[in-house]
Amino acid sequence: MIEFHAILGQMLAPKYIGWLLDGLYMTLLLSAVVAVLSTLLGIVIAAAHSSHQRWLSRPAAIFIAVFRNTPLLVQLFFWYFGISSLLPENTVVWLNSVHSVTFGSYLALTWPSFELLCAIVGLSLYSATYVSEEIRSGMRGVAEAQRLAGAALGLTRWQVLRYVILPQAARIALPPLLGQYMNIIKNTSLTMAIGLAELSYTSRQVEAQTFKTFQAFGIATLFYIGSIALIESGGQLLRRRQRLTDGAHR
Amino acid sequence: MQLSVLTDNLPYLLWGAYPEGELGGAALTVLLSLGSALASAVLGLALGIGLSLTRGLPNLLLTAGIGFFRAIPVLMLIFWTYFLLPIVFHINVPGVFSVMCALSLIGGAYLAHSVHAGISGIPAGQWAAGMSLGMTHFAVLRHIVLPQALQMMLPSFVNQWVTLIKDSSLAYIVGVGELSFVAAQVNSRVMIYPAEIFMFIGLIYFALCTGLAWCADRIGACFNTRYDGQLRQAH
Repeated sequence: MIEFHAILGQMLAPKYIGWLLDGLYMTLLLSAVVAVLSTLLGIVIAAAHSSHQRWLSRPAAIFIAVFRNTPLLVQLFFWYFGISSLLPENTVVWLNSVHSVTFGSYLALTWPSFELLCAIVGLSLYSATYVSEEIRSGMRGVAEAQRLAGAALGLTRWQVLRYVILPQAARIALPPLLGQYMNIIKNTSLTMAIGLAELSYTSRQVEAQTFKTFQAFGIATLFYIGSIALIESGGQLLRRRQRLTDGAHR
Repeated sequence: MQLSVLTDNLPYLLWGAYPEGELGGAALTVLLSLGSALASAVLGLALGIGLSLTRGLPNLLLTAGIGFFRAIPVLMLIFWTYFLLPIVFHINVPGVFSVMCALSLIGGAYLAHSVHAGISGIPAGQWAAGMSLGMTHFAVLRHIVLPQALQMMLPSFVNQWVTLIKDSSLAYIVGVGELSFVAAQVNSRVMIYPAEIFMFIGLIYFALCTGLAWCADRIGACFNTRYDGQLRQAH
């Protein structure tokens, strides 16, 4: 019991809490960017995969199989170490150097670090395969008669997709999509392996500096659970809103 | 493409320094995955049955506990087991074992819900029929409900095991010499051709994951035809 008492000893100094908060910020930023990119890419892959043209559906299926059946960590290593050996040298130098764009005097956009860039690319491609599967099953959930009804009204294929299928598919796919966004948050932790200073990385750093293992990992764990719980409750809220509007229509 | 880096390091990538040193590489990945797969199946089954049979407060506690393991990243749990297990057991716990613990806990938590869903998917009439034959609750579960539910659950078990093979690469973080770790080691030693190295080990993982899914498909199909055959005989 002595160890447990020692472990629970004192709180972390504010400086280290600050490190962890910086890590949390990086985790959330990366998650948000990846969520947006993987959703856009996921829609494209889902469309290609469910196409009747084989030259579209085949590559999509292969893409999904490759990215789903290899570990994310290995993919990140590939992007981080591998891509610099495959790209022309000038490009790599350009990617690694600092660029920034300033709009007026208040807004400055800085080019992300090479680690962050690899994290965004690796996570987005990996997550897009999962997102595309959720979108595809959402689209399958919309009855075939809906497409026919749209076509009968003289809508083009694109209009049917845009105004009839997608709005309904989005509603069906929302809960599993939120689950995928939670997975994205959890998966960002792997980017510590390529040296991105996100939450897991900073918790490890704090642990190494202070030897307060329990506090460092404890706070990081709470941050993760908090972020996941936020999405969960957001989803609950959205669902309740949907149910209310459904009732109003009736 | 330069493949000599692969042929030179092939034995090291496949089984580490074995037999002179410790087993590592792809062989350790397979062992690690096998151990965690087995443990996660047992744990998932136990927790799923627990979820199905409990009511009220115990059910709430069980759900919250499972929710915790589903909400945290695998990596974070590996940190926890890696640092807490030696303190709890007062002995030096090998890294492989702590990673196995983390993977089994996460896998078990995910499987618990599919087991629970599978058990709930069995019609109530099956329970009633068993009970009317004078069987106990447990006997009904063991002889009637689970055999049917397990067949429905097979795909989610396979999915979870594929995820598990991929997640075993996270052992890299705590320095366990499995496939990803030895690959990173080789990469930092030779410093050239990283793309070839990581594509190659990606291929090994791909073969492991798709191979498992394929085998499970075969077994499932064979299982189904036998089951159907029995049914047909019974009619």
